[in-house]
Amino acid sequence: MATNPAIAMPGQAAEELDPITFEVLRNAFEYTCGRMTTILQRTSFSPILSDMLDFSNAIYDSQVRLLGQSGNPVHLAAMQYSADASLAKFPIAEMRPGDVIVLNDPFQGGTHINDITFTMPIFLDDTLLGFAVSRGHWMDLGGGAAGGQSFGTHVAGEGLRLPPTKLYENYNIREEILDIIVSNTRTPHFVRGDLQGHLGALKAAEAELQRLALRYGIGTLEAGMRKVIDYTEKIVRAAIEEIPDGTYVGEDYADTDGFSDAPVPIKVTLTISGSNIIIDFAGSAPITKGAINSPMANTASAAFYSLQFFLAPHAPSNYGMMVPLELKLPDDCWLNAKWPAPVIGCTTLTSSKITSAIWQALAKAIPERITGSTFAECNWFVAATRDREGNTDVFSDLPAGGWGGTPYGDGMSVTMDPLGNCMNMPAETAELLFPIEYECFELRQDSAGPGKFRGGLGAVFRVRFLCDAELSMETARTREGTPGANGGGRSAVQRSLKLGSDGTRTVIGGLTENGEWVSPLLAAHPFGYDEQFMFESTGGGGWGSPHERPAEMVLEDVLEEYVSIEAARTQYGVVIDPVMMTIDQEATRKARNGAEAKTSRT
Amino acid sequence: MWRVGVDVGGTFTDLFGWHQKTNESISAKVLTTRPDRSLGVIQAIKQAGLNFAQISHLLHGTTTATNALIERDYPAAAFVTTEGFRDTIEIGRQHRQYLYDPYQAKPTPIIARRNRFVVAERMSASGTVRRPLDETAAVEIAQQIAARDFPAVGIGFINAYANADHENRMREIVLAHNPDTHVVISAETRPVFREHARFTTTAIRAALMPVMTGYFDRLAAALGDEGFRGSLLILKSNGGVMGTELAKQRPEELIESGPAGGVAYAAYLTHATHIENIIHTDVGGTSFDASIVESGHGLITRNYELEWEVPISVPMLDIRSVGAGGGSIAWVDKGNSLRVGPKSAGSDPGPACYRRGGTEPTVTDANLILGRLHPSLGGKFTLETEAAERAIDGVARAIGLSRIETAEGIIRISCEAMAQAVKGVVVDRARDPRDYVLASFGGAGPMHACFVAQAMNVPTVLVPAHAGVASAFGAIAMNLRHDLESFLYAALDSIDTGQLNASYDALEARGRALLAADGIAEAEMVLTRTAQMRYEGQTFEVECDIPSQRIEAQDLPGIAEAFHAAHEKDYGVHSEDFPIVFVALGVTAIGRYADPPIFHPAAGGRPGEASTRSVYFDGQWIDTPVFSADDLVAGTTVPGPSIVEYADACAVLPPGCGGKIDEMGNLTINVGD
Repeated sequence: MATNPAIAMPGQAAEELDPITFEVLRNAFEYTCGRMTTILQRTSFSPILSDMLDFSNAIYDSQVRLLGQSGNPVHLAAMQYSADASLAKFPIAEMRPGDVIVLNDPFQGGTHINDITFTMPIFLDDTLLGFAVSRGHWMDLGGGAAGGQSFGTHVAGEGLRLPPTKLYENYNIREEILDIIVSNTRTPHFVRGDLQGHLGALKAAEAELQRLALRYGIGTLEAGMRKVIDYTEKIVRAAIEEIPDGTYVGEDYADTDGFSDAPVPIKVTLTISGSNIIIDFAGSAPITKGAINSPMANTASAAFYSLQFFLAPHAPSNYGMMVPLELKLPDDCWLNAKWPAPVIGCTTLTSSKITSAIWQALAKAIPERITGSTFAECNWFVAATRDREGNTDVFSDLPAGGWGGTPYGDGMSVTMDPLGNCMNMPAETAELLFPIEYECFELRQDSAGPGKFRGGLGAVFRVRFLCDAELSMETARTREGTPGANGGGRSAVQRSLKLGSDGTRTVIGGLTENGEWVSPLLAAHPFGYDEQFMFESTGGGGWGSPHERPAEMVLEDVLEEYVSIEAARTQYGVVIDPVMMTIDQEATRKARNGAEAKTSRT
Repeated sequence: MWRVGVDVGGTFTDLFGWHQKTNESISAKVLTTRPDRSLGVIQAIKQAGLNFAQISHLLHGTTTATNALIERDYPAAAFVTTEGFRDTIEIGRQHRQYLYDPYQAKPTPIIARRNRFVVAERMSASGTVRRPLDETAAVEIAQQIAARDFPAVGIGFINAYANADHENRMREIVLAHNPDTHVVISAETRPVFREHARFTTTAIRAALMPVMTGYFDRLAAALGDEGFRGSLLILKSNGGVMGTELAKQRPEELIESGPAGGVAYAAYLTHATHIENIIHTDVGGTSFDASIVESGHGLITRNYELEWEVPISVPMLDIRSVGAGGGSIAWVDKGNSLRVGPKSAGSDPGPACYRRGGTEPTVTDANLILGRLHPSLGGKFTLETEAAERAIDGVARAIGLSRIETAEGIIRISCEAMAQAVKGVVVDRARDPRDYVLASFGGAGPMHACFVAQAMNVPTVLVPAHAGVASAFGAIAMNLRHDLESFLYAALDSIDTGQLNASYDALEARGRALLAADGIAEAEMVLTRTAQMRYEGQTFEVECDIPSQRIEAQDLPGIAEAFHAAHEKDYGVHSEDFPIVFVALGVTAIGRYADPPIFHPAAGGRPGEASTRSVYFDGQWIDTPVFSADDLVAGTTVPGPSIVEYADACAVLPPGCGGKIDEMGNLTINVGD
């Protein structure tokens, strides 16, 4: 990855770092990011930050190399690009303490418009120690529909695009810039409070790095920064060396770009040689007309975090993670979007498919360690609401699905996709704030991919509007469920429905009862008073043959109503007596033997 | 009559008694008994030689509730909830503990899905009935509960914090069919919004009720058989005590019952020594606990999680734990870096030097090699230095350091982990560690306290005289305490002060009634008010003190001022541009007991006389004086480097530090810098 060439290399550190001081500093970098998170979460105003935690915070060294990050993996590498872009426009020599650069431009290190990034240099006297970066998903920054989900054909329809812009000088906000932001959102009431939260997070990082520099000396601090990056790189390289050299291909797809009914494929080729990996997306679809394209920073994040799960899950996530990885993108590719391509779906729909494709490639390299895919979606919806008094607001949630079965156990149910680590919106919080009522958020029976270790379950989600609303959503997995691994089965498909106040049910995304498929990309879909939005999320893919799952575990799943009696028989070959709720051993033996015989014939 | 504190820990049951007339004191220590921990309580009292009939108050800290929860070792309970929300306590908040771990799993739900029932009903957020309770369905559920013989049932309905009518009605119906079953509702357990935390807390209350009712009944019977006629009071997580009848009804308040005694000791020290601010730290075999005590009060959290996404939504002492104790194991990771913990050898097999089958190097092994622990451990137990050396050599080779450098590194790293926990409580609260004294409890605490303090820039360490039986001593310094809370969502500038006053009056009336039930006279009742407040639009509240008087409209600007100041203190920012809202009101009702006196240490033998042994500090062996705590009278100075050995603990003063014994027998150490 490129660092900013404008920044000079600092001199060699004054001293060698002993292993103990290193451990102290390593912990301190991690702690700093955690402290930034606490402040942003507890002080911000928009529920997508404070209740749902859709944000990330990071610190960088003086050469803009990532030292530590907390929050959402999809921001991992992208924040690096946005820091680089900010400094390319505002050279560090001209920066002063308390200067904060804002940007959200998808083509200058941003991802989608709603992810807005704040970068602040940290000095001790005249010495640059590093940078603090805080990135939040803001509820709304304008565009043709709430949350930027208009699904048009041009990025200009997705909201206010900010190139690197100086928002604070000497910790004071530039009111004329603030006015532009406040004037371009459906939720102006969140802006000042959320900004206070981001500034609080940046200042906390500044205080902590300054404390470390004073306590241990700048030379030691810099040595610790270099070493923590080397440390992660060493772990990652050792992990890559354990994977057999070779070329491994994985594929997945988005169901639609919203304009064509044709699926949009991703093809990834991982070339592993020694301790390096080349990630090549040749063979993926060209730029799409609709808004699921991914700019380079987002694609890089997705590729890198997807690998981190199987390379260095517990190492500090920093620049060292990225050093052994090389990204190759075709020029005309939906994963290498350039202006004016629409990109609103990149962080959610597209990132999660990249992960699924990469994990399926890894399944060929490390079958004994891979897991089934996750539900590979974000299921992020946004609704502009207008109550009977004419008050408007924007409400959002992201009902999760399940993770894949693993070599050691069943996948997690209803857990945010690897791309992020957001929380759901509590019903009781939402009902205090918005003219809506939550009707359901429960596990969805039979939604998981079957396997020796099954996937986690998806959910059934319903919300009732007590207002007029326009709901936008992007999702996929509506044609086929999540793929399994090592013989594990696919999960159920996802689906969106509208429930009328008279009890009618209409599928508005996914497969209808008679097998027709409706595009799941909803742009400002109208809902009236007392109508409900319903979403069925899917589970994770299974791991290993479902017929190897002990019948007693299948019975337990039936007793917990995770799995129906019917699915126990059809998916697992386990026959359960519906009256006694016990295993019919004889029928089970027959069902399982028959299936094996069938398998061996094919 | 005696006032007696008994703390039942994982390994030892500790006792400290005080005769309230003669000011005699006594302590005892026995092994904790399993499975019935009440036996150890009786044994400790007997070992102390106390007459059961002469005990007026027995104050008891117990980890029984915590262990039952962690091990999910309780009879299966049922849960009844609003249709559509059956899985709220299983789904949690849909996020994960480890960002990049593909194999992680969520904790087992407190109540299994097959035991969770749903019923049609719905309240709105403002407390109006959107859909009446389906009584036919409710009766069917009650009958199923009877058929399956559940000993306890939790009821949690959406928005019940705003209107509990449906929960109350559901309870009546369940009880009509199950008269002997414990039935609890969420609106009584914790009447605040956010369903996941309220439902989970309610489920925990239900699950624990049969366990704790059984335990307290057994203990009361055993004590009665021995002639005990006094008050049995239970330490609870908020730093106060309550009677056993209430403890049976509110077992979810017992999660920090064990550590609460130590925190109370620290609070007592803030009174007795005129130190304002103390960081309480306790080192056991597997973990290190830290919390803050300011002006006699342990700081409280409302965001406690037992495990990932298993919140217990009651105010409790904010105690952070990290896996760093005497048994924590040192290892080398894939990046070739030396790590310590969180895996622990515990007490079985224990550190390598115990020679009970442990071969991995632990913190205790490192302390032994450095000469900080004596192999005879006060004559009670023999530690094998050779076994410790073999264990340490394994990791020393891997990282390319010498044995002794590695041992010192292990201590530095574990002290740093302890410092992180301290940081967690101090800095996350935007406090400056330099304003605090670090008080060190537990057998292994004072060995590490000076290093932890140095890592955190805390200038002073306090080793209390009774560090070895800290929680039992703290228990006798505790008061009855009840934290009551009610939900009230209203903008500060337009709040109906009549409603505000009525809410506080109702909470205070409940508080007085609870104290009176435990025999507290009106004169000994202290009631204070707080409010949970935030800027409108925020999700997290900041707690604010509210004056204990009738509130009029002209008092509101003063409350706003106090809120801005509290917000600034916790998060480093505030703004007068934003409107402020009340979210919940709180009343703390305290029933005061007499404070224990200062127990002057018995005059020692020959003050200040020390033996000497070689101890490794900062890269070199130093001939270091070793004192016995019994020989140190008030006013004695203890220069560093030195070791002070207690009956159940050992303090290490590194070079550059200097200590002094105060009139209570506490050792105060200036750690310099």
